[in-house]
Amino acid sequence: MIRACVLFLALLAPLPALAHNVISSVFPSGSDIEGEVGFSNGDMAADLLIEVFDAAGAKLGETRTDADGFFLFTPASPVTHVFRGDLGAGHVAEIRMEAAEVAQIMGESPIETAPAATGTTAPAAAAGLSDQSRAELARMLRTELRPLRQELTAFKNKSDFQSILGGIGYIFGLFGLGFYIAARRKIGSSA
Amino acid sequence: MHIVDGALSNPVVIGGAVAAVGGIAMGLRSLPLERIPAAGVLSASFFVASLIHVPIGPSSVHLILNGLAGLVLGWAAFPALFVGLLLQAVFFGFGGLTVLGVNAVNIALPAVLVGLMFRPLLARGSPLQGAIWGGIGGGLAIAATTLAVAVSLMLSGDEFILAAKLVFFSHIPVMVIEALLSGAAIFLARRVKPELFIDTKGSLA
Repeated sequence: MIRACVLFLALLAPLPALAHNVISSVFPSGSDIEGEVGFSNGDMAADLLIEVFDAAGAKLGETRTDADGFFLFTPASPVTHVFRGDLGAGHVAEIRMEAAEVAQIMGESPIETAPAATGTTAPAAAAGLSDQSRAELARMLRTELRPLRQELTAFKNKSDFQSILGGIGYIFGLFGLGFYIAARRKIGSSA
Repeated sequence: MHIVDGALSNPVVIGGAVAAVGGIAMGLRSLPLERIPAAGVLSASFFVASLIHVPIGPSSVHLILNGLAGLVLGWAAFPALFVGLLLQAVFFGFGGLTVLGVNAVNIALPAVLVGLMFRPLLARGSPLQGAIWGGIGGGLAIAATTLAVAVSLMLSGDEFILAAKLVFFSHIPVMVIEALLSGAAIFLARRVKPELFIDTKGSLA
């Protein structure tokens, strides 16, 4: 899950900002893929259509988010899954889950107490837990982590003073350069 | 207002990029030496304006100030706004880099149109009259930008009416604020530096 988060945050880094920032992530949840979609200000996308594609763009299926912006999808084949939700007005959430990870979910699902391979969901909870309590634990963890994740996203998107000043500096530098070039050309032509 | 990566179809992105290059070339040609500092200042104010958020209900929208740039610069607003947008994308992550062209067209083209329509009116009459025209221009630029955003979304498959409504109505407060701001700025400029709007002399020099 942390890997998925990091991956997702890395993907999101060059994306939008502040109140209209889309956050989204997917992670394995038992034999399903679970994900969430929402805005970084805490508004989760309720009852949103999530379409699922493979890497080539062929549609694999679709699902809907619940009131908290969570969705569940049961993978049918171990290929790369791309989840796409359109939040309207140019806000699109697109999340990838790589084939290897999907295969891991599917391979793991028939065995009830999978050993170390549980990996991404709950590393410490591998042994001696029923599916139900594992799911419970995963849900608890997610609920606990959600504010943290939102705060992290908000922090990453915070425009600090340095970058504002830096941007203004760039602008003046650029236009100064343009001015210099234009002035040189003018002097050159009049001389 | 800033469309993000992945929201638009490829033809729209490519078309936007081509149109943006054309606009920038056109703008640079009509940017005389004397105007470059003004373009820089407006570019910087556009860059910072997007950080000023106006809270509306649970969400918020930000100022854009493209109308003012268009009113003062005319065609030259295109490169000025493009530079601002580029740096916004790099520094703040507003919009994506691949859709930069579309965003530039969406924001700069209304600015240029408003500039072409209202600039001659700004220099005429009293400063107050100029300010009123400037205010109308400033508000109109935002309205046109929301429509342009809706059109880009529509060309990528969204339903136009729905998208347009959503963007347009959420930006009505911004239109009002920008109209007031542009009006005030034009009023001040008319008072302090009226030669800013004397077009022919500036562009021929």
